[in-house]
Amino acid sequence: MKLFILFFLAGIFLVVLQTTFFHLLPIGPVVPDLILVLCVYLGLYHPSVGAAFGSFLLGYSIDIISSPILGFNAFAMSLVYLAVYLCARSIWLHHPIVSSVVVLLAALIKGATMVLIWAVFLSVDGFWAGAARYVLWEASLAAVLAPLVFALLRRGQNFIDKLTPAAP
Amino acid sequence: MLAFLRRNQIFISSCFCLLLSLYILTATARGQIKNEPVGALLMWILRPLQIAGQGTANWIKGFRDHYDTLAGFRSENERLRKRVQTLEIEWQRLLEAEATNRRLQQLLDFRSELPAGAITASIIASSATSWFQSCVLNKGSADGLRKGMAVVTPMGVVGKVVTVTGRTAKVLLLTDPNSGIDVLVQRTRSRGIVSGSLESGTVLKYMKRSEDVQEGDRLVTSGLDNVFPKGLLVGTVIKVRKQNLGLFQSVEVWPAVQAARVEEVLVVAAETEAAKK
Repeated sequence: MKLFILFFLAGIFLVVLQTTFFHLLPIGPVVPDLILVLCVYLGLYHPSVGAAFGSFLLGYSIDIISSPILGFNAFAMSLVYLAVYLCARSIWLHHPIVSSVVVLLAALIKGATMVLIWAVFLSVDGFWAGAARYVLWEASLAAVLAPLVFALLRRGQNFIDKLTPAAP
Repeated sequence: MLAFLRRNQIFISSCFCLLLSLYILTATARGQIKNEPVGALLMWILRPLQIAGQGTANWIKGFRDHYDTLAGFRSENERLRKRVQTLEIEWQRLLEAEATNRRLQQLLDFRSELPAGAITASIIASSATSWFQSCVLNKGSADGLRKGMAVVTPMGVVGKVVTVTGRTAKVLLLTDPNSGIDVLVQRTRSRGIVSGSLESGTVLKYMKRSEDVQEGDRLVTSGLDNVFPKGLLVGTVIKVRKQNLGLFQSVEVWPAVQAARVEEVLVVAAETEAAKK
């Protein structure tokens, strides 16, 4: 329950961060996707049914705030969670440096999914060049920021572990 | 069977989430989802946080901008600098109040030129993803906002309301690739559609090669889309390219309003022909 509250608060904090403070950064219209980093963290360190639904809800919250069509980010984040979970089951991915690479790959998976869904549901001129730019920028930013977010989440988790009394 | 489900419960629940997302996507695209309670609840939770966050971000932005102008004072002595900084903080507060006052006065003046019932709102959040250009307003259906209303400022058009909850509204900005505004070239009265583009900023679409469009031409709303009142400034033509082939010319537009710099807006319903009569 405490972990659920931690990730719920982290999710809300990251959404507010993405919708307000990150627009102060001088990097144009690209927003660092920390929600994606959180989904990757859940996929790597919390393989559970709750985490799967959590990833879906994180994507859905982005849809509620930003997307003209609901379900875009919910689908992408669920897919990212599933991909990371399946990879983490078969390959050792828990080294801090490797986690950055995992986030980069996850961001590329998300980008490819977004491109696919855009192509199916929304028809836009000059889409491909712009999409490629956004995918690469978002993936690089997410990978750079991933170690920091992972470290903060791990600290929060350790703090909660200390609060929980040990079993007799 | 039960053991299989238990062993693969994460995989199965992830697949369920994927299918659920696909269902939501399809249902929204078909317009079958009108009011969904989760979104309203989430916006209700996020609204005060976003207001506080945006307030702090605006303060930081103002402070940062102002700090840049103070760079010249660095060579002065420490005492004087501290004194200046104290005064600057106070001055910044007053400047902010004065600027807000001026903006609201402009909005009031502009409001009298618009159809009756214009609603003043503040932007409390911007888009959380690079793929869509949108923002969130601090007013919703409880304040009279409806889907499809135009969002404008005295400088020009900002966008269109696409989703409304009780106390918030989501605005699709003019610069989003999914937006489309029916416009007239003010000088020649030629018609076209202004829309965002992922590739080259904001563009004027469907402008025939034979039409006379020049750099510097101002684009205004035609009023024919029944969303935007007629005659509002949308943007200025910055680049015109006529290729050897094709029916249309390629026109790039500089939007009249840079949404990132706007804090207050007016939300207005276009005057329909029936209402005019």
